[in-house]
Amino acid sequence: MTGENTRLLEVSNLSVFYSGLQVLWDVSLSVNSGEIVTILGANGAGKTTLVHSIFGLVRDRKGKVLFRNADISSIPAYKVVKHGLSLVPERRELFPKMTVIENLEIGGFPRQERVVGYDEIFTLFPVLEERKRQLAGTLSGGEQQMLAIARALISRPSLLVLDEPSLGLSPLLVSTVLDTVATLNKSGLSILLVEQNVQHALEISQRGYILENGRIIRGGSSDDLLHDDQVRAAYLGI
Amino acid sequence: MAGVDVVLQVLIWGLYAGCIYILLATGLNLIFGVMKVVNFAHGELLMLGAYITFTFYALSGWNPYVLLGASVPLLIIVGIIIERLCFRPILGTGKLNEIFISIGLIYIVQNAAAIVWTDEWRIIHSPYERITISVFGVNMPLDYLIIIITTALILIGLHLFLRRTRIGKAMRATSQNRNGAMLMGINVERMDMLSFGIGAGFAGAAGTLWVVSGQVFNPYMGSIPAIKAFAIVILGGLGSIPGAIIGGLVYGIAENFAIFTLGGAWKDAISFIILILVLIVRPTGLFGESAE
Repeated sequence: MTGENTRLLEVSNLSVFYSGLQVLWDVSLSVNSGEIVTILGANGAGKTTLVHSIFGLVRDRKGKVLFRNADISSIPAYKVVKHGLSLVPERRELFPKMTVIENLEIGGFPRQERVVGYDEIFTLFPVLEERKRQLAGTLSGGEQQMLAIARALISRPSLLVLDEPSLGLSPLLVSTVLDTVATLNKSGLSILLVEQNVQHALEISQRGYILENGRIIRGGSSDDLLHDDQVRAAYLGI
Repeated sequence: MAGVDVVLQVLIWGLYAGCIYILLATGLNLIFGVMKVVNFAHGELLMLGAYITFTFYALSGWNPYVLLGASVPLLIIVGIIIERLCFRPILGTGKLNEIFISIGLIYIVQNAAAIVWTDEWRIIHSPYERITISVFGVNMPLDYLIIIITTALILIGLHLFLRRTRIGKAMRATSQNRNGAMLMGINVERMDMLSFGIGAGFAGAAGTLWVVSGQVFNPYMGSIPAIKAFAIVILGGLGSIPGAIIGGLVYGIAENFAIFTLGGAWKDAISFIILILVLIVRPTGLFGESAE
């Protein structure tokens, strides 16, 4: 954290319900510009629900979500992304019968006038250039993850949210993906990272939150979390 | 030699009959692809297209082909109204709601049409009715040729729209992954409206072509063509537009061969015999589960 950075995302007292059943309780968190913030938590802790409610994909919720001081709590997903947030969803949510290029084109939908050039994307992900005429559904898991990240970057967001980008990838690819995330951050992009790969995620981030059974039970600097005995026991198995 | 002539003749008849089915099935698939809703009242949109053509023809006396310019836009508007009023409020609340809404629409639209136009059988005559031309040595009515070309142009237009335009690509994206599309800033409800509008517009075009080719119609005429369009959709694969085109052609041609070889009574049955046979061999239809 570099001093009093501008607050980019602020979630306060967010509660979420699935058909009346509460799954998130009073979740509050923030991301400042320039940061990587990690959300850690086991399966079923509510990480994806949290991400979905930030993006307006879950309607039954209470609390406030502010992005650059604009209230985005009650607007539909397609309007949320126009504010400059981009999501790389857990299951990638690509368009399987469209080519790599077409997927990228659709990525530019929210803000057509500020689309990142394909050259810039292909420098970051050279494999996508080789595959640009191929259908997204025929790519390997790692390539699909690259495409999902690339597609989220095309609209030049100010905050990139990644929901378990390493899910289902080989250890080598996990490192590649998380290194890419770190590289993107160095170029100025703020990142909210949801991960199960605790060690690696905390190493590249400045701050983190721990979500357990729908509640934030701890928050702090990544260093503190990495050296916290409880965290190490619960999430690192040390 | 006579044998080849007859086969060609039947093929051309089948091609023409296939056009109406293709337009209906493509529209159904477009709606299903984007909204995952099966519009059982699609045949009634065909019927409305027929009556709109009939009414404008009676009022203006213009060449009925020109009246595609009335039936298509009016049906697009009807489609958008139906989507907004009937389907949007219940989307995602359960398949049964969607099924009963669209079945209910069948009777509402049929009865409304019977009040406006009575339930007499009607027919109009194309100005080219008596003209036949020779294609590959086979005589065919000029109307059939125009209908085949018109259908081909409409389908090429749809193809270009879906492949080349921003909105068309957004529609394809929505049909392939609704959540993904929302996250890319696509207003998926607008895509629903558009797909229903275009699907209904296609049914309107089919209605005009039905009337122009000299077939009779009344407010209940939509049921049989719609049931066949559903069969074609299942045959070709749910959501697949190429499947709808191939399926439509197969049906048109098979029906006409059935009439020629087995007799007219088999015309409607043959479609379903083919459907059952295909489903036994390939339960997902010819073109898999869902393409576009």
